[in-house]
Amino acid sequence: MDWLKPLRRKELEKEFDRELRFHIEELTQKNIAAGMSPDEAHRQAMLEFGGKEQMTEQLREVHQIPVLETLAMNLRFASRLIRKSPVFSAVVILTLALGIGANSAVFSVIDSILLRPLPFLHGDELMLLRQYNPKEKSPQTFVAPVRLEDWNRMNSTFQSISGYYLEDDSEISGVLPEKLAHAMVAPRFLQVLGVSPVLGRDFAPEEERFGGPRAVLISNRLWQRRFGGDPNVLRKSLRFDKYSLPIVGVMPAAFAFPDRSIDMWSPVPLDAPYAQSRENTWYTVIGRLKPAVDVEKARADISGVQAQLGEQFPKTDAKLAVKLLPLKDNTVDSSRRSLWVLFGSVTLLLLIACTNIAALLLARMTEREHEISVRFSLGASHRAVIAQLLTEVFLLALAGSLAGLGLAAGAPKVFRTFTPDLPRVEEITLDWRIAGYCLVCALAVTFLCGMLPALRGTRRGIAGSLAKSNKSQVSGRNPVQWALVAVQVALAVTLLVGAGLLQRSLAELARVSPGFDPSHVLTLHISMSYGETADMKALAQRTNRMLDAFRAVPGVEAAAAVSTLPGVPGQQQTELRVVEGEQDPNRKIIVDSRFVSSGYFAVMHIPLLGGEPCQETPNSMAVVVNRSFANTYFGQSPAIGHHLTTAAYSQFPLKGEVRGIVGDAREQGLNTEPMPTVYWCSNVAFPGTHFVVRTRSEPMMLADTLRSTIHEIEPSRSVFDVQPLQERLSGSFAEDRLRTTLLTLFALTAVSLACLGLYGTLSYFVSIRRREVGLRIALGALRQQIALRFLFQGLRVSIVGCVLGLVLAAASVRLLSGMLYGVSSFDPGTFSGVVALVLLVAALATVVPAARAARTDPMRVLRDE
Amino acid sequence: MPDERSELLQGTLDMLILKVVALGPIHGYGIAQRIRQISKDVLQVQQGSLYPALHRLEKRRWLESAWRESKNGRQAKFYRLSAKGRKQLREEQLTWQGLAGTIALILQTVE
Repeated sequence: MDWLKPLRRKELEKEFDRELRFHIEELTQKNIAAGMSPDEAHRQAMLEFGGKEQMTEQLREVHQIPVLETLAMNLRFASRLIRKSPVFSAVVILTLALGIGANSAVFSVIDSILLRPLPFLHGDELMLLRQYNPKEKSPQTFVAPVRLEDWNRMNSTFQSISGYYLEDDSEISGVLPEKLAHAMVAPRFLQVLGVSPVLGRDFAPEEERFGGPRAVLISNRLWQRRFGGDPNVLRKSLRFDKYSLPIVGVMPAAFAFPDRSIDMWSPVPLDAPYAQSRENTWYTVIGRLKPAVDVEKARADISGVQAQLGEQFPKTDAKLAVKLLPLKDNTVDSSRRSLWVLFGSVTLLLLIACTNIAALLLARMTEREHEISVRFSLGASHRAVIAQLLTEVFLLALAGSLAGLGLAAGAPKVFRTFTPDLPRVEEITLDWRIAGYCLVCALAVTFLCGMLPALRGTRRGIAGSLAKSNKSQVSGRNPVQWALVAVQVALAVTLLVGAGLLQRSLAELARVSPGFDPSHVLTLHISMSYGETADMKALAQRTNRMLDAFRAVPGVEAAAAVSTLPGVPGQQQTELRVVEGEQDPNRKIIVDSRFVSSGYFAVMHIPLLGGEPCQETPNSMAVVVNRSFANTYFGQSPAIGHHLTTAAYSQFPLKGEVRGIVGDAREQGLNTEPMPTVYWCSNVAFPGTHFVVRTRSEPMMLADTLRSTIHEIEPSRSVFDVQPLQERLSGSFAEDRLRTTLLTLFALTAVSLACLGLYGTLSYFVSIRRREVGLRIALGALRQQIALRFLFQGLRVSIVGCVLGLVLAAASVRLLSGMLYGVSSFDPGTFSGVVALVLLVAALATVVPAARAARTDPMRVLRDE
Repeated sequence: MPDERSELLQGTLDMLILKVVALGPIHGYGIAQRIRQISKDVLQVQQGSLYPALHRLEKRRWLESAWRESKNGRQAKFYRLSAKGRKQLREEQLTWQGLAGTIALILQTVE
């Protein structure tokens, strides 16, 4: 009654009183009519009526909703039952801890990476804007500062638009120059992202003007590392080769945009004379939508703006279109499918666990038939018994999910350690959302595991009941239990097929011959700034000097500079034209374009097939093509001597003469067939250019030597990101490997669970059929026959499960396409291997109970009667 | 309770109440009197079980109630049968008749 609102309770009490009083008064009236005195009549009436208080109490009980009390009682009873069968309970709790734990762990990752908005104020308003040329194949280019300002001024759907580009600078106030990652930002950068410095201030307008004072905001990390978190940092400066930057503010620790590596942000004056060309390619552009504007509307708006610019500046803007996509999608899209596949597989795992437990509960339900029928005969309602049974399962599920939550707590660490490159990986945390998810899992599990056994256990009602004793039960036919086992096997087979395919794919990848030799190659960056590109000649000289210095180091075989590392995914496709001869207009020449310095093919061990390798040529640019380019576009005729030029509409006009042909290499990633490739020979290093050095011995041993070599000739530059090429290659497949490892782990757990289920169910049937088996043996049945019968029963179910599993797998491998390399989604080897493995393990799981059945001692069974 | 009076069989009180209420809106006292009258004083309904039963039936929405003036001018809680209650009564009557018939048959046969 306590749960009722006091007001309602009072009203009810008053009503009880009025109703009962009426009755008593009527009785009194009757007594008076029969001739009693009023006092006597009332006394008699009270006597006849009985205790009024007692009755009020009874009425209260009627109106009580018994949920809470029943729940408490059910819980008490359930916990007693769980304590009474500790082994059973432990098995269930552990199984669920595994299932729910793995599920919640992957969910926490999905939640942090895919579901939550970016960690900015109203992160879903943030958009990425890209300009592209619809005619080109991989056409996205960076945006000119003037165009960025046009977009910002002319649109009507954005609060503001800004942009950034990155370069690496060398800070030289320390002993050795230190490389700092520098984000050069357009006006309104912090405004778009909705953050402000924790210390100091945002850039002042004059700092964003050409010739104005310089300013820099530093990251919290840099603040701690270099200045020990000193609040006086605002009076200090960062020193670079040609200038120094006064620190005006410190950003919050959580702020990491564009990425975690950024050490500082500083403004670029947009009114500088060199910033005025509409053909500049500087910025990655971000914008913040006005509240409640949807993406489609903004897309139409910004496209309209660009169309207007196209009319105004036909030469530079007419060919461009704008692509708009949520910043979050851009950040996390690469991992989306991988993560959902993982989530799908842990969910299958959880389903297997549930099925397993449902089978266990069903078996136990048979033992509890007697108890349940007693409850029924004592007047418990059907619903009450089901509630009681579900409460038991819920208690187990709750314990399981608590343990699972502990397991899931390890997820952030696992993912941060094994896939440091996963976007937003640093944001993975365990919080109340995950705890809530675990609770939901526990509830779902309760119904999934508990409903079927509860319904079946209570199905017979009183009928089946007391008279029947367990002992006389002979038949062990129970198709539901076997169906559950088959389902488990089927789900396990599905997971195993997925894991098998991914494993095969990784193995294929390891066998691939990339066409270049990644061993004994050291890769590194040298800090540069875009300002240096103003004088290309001087830059080429400096680059050459650094390369020569590397080559002079003992132990170095060759050194080169290259725009993009070989074998690491990332592509730059361009459309080219052959200058000589007529060209079929319908046959576009699309190539992978790479800028390499002289010495590149020697470093990579890419064989020269004809002509000469990259060399600096005084007048025109030299070009080296790969074999598939020569074969595809020149066929039998010699390619050497032809001139190639970029298509007319290109943003970067290039022209060069084919001087050599080299072998095909998997430049775009080990899992990608080599495509026609053109190497433009250029000895100019830009910010982000990779230096590659072939060493005679272990490459990392030369790291320090190379660093000091550069320090000697270019004291204001820093050397950073020194890493063997082989590590970078394997790093680019870290996500694939983690995905494969996890899926394999889940699949193996699934198989063990399924076999445990098979073992448990068969053992149970052997135990109920002990009497029958004993009789058979007493009547002369061969023990071997008995064992075979049980063995076949187990195997038959496994085979049915395998067939189901293969169908399920065939339907779901589609999800993996695109993640597989060198192995078809329906790889017969994997499919048959999985079936063989599962049947083998299933056979092992059935042997023990089957053998136990065969060992049954008929005398003991009969004596037990 | 005097010896010649029978106690009500478990579960039959509900049916009797429904039957009596089916005749027309009536208050608790009236129901008790009516059962006694109809059964010629054989069946006596204890108030201790009558009111809880009434409230239970109302809670199951077999009965509906309203406060109205009684014959002698005082406010009383009147019960009447809902559509659901009517259906329930029909079912209980059928079950009862079946059961009663079976018991009678057994008694006759065994004799």
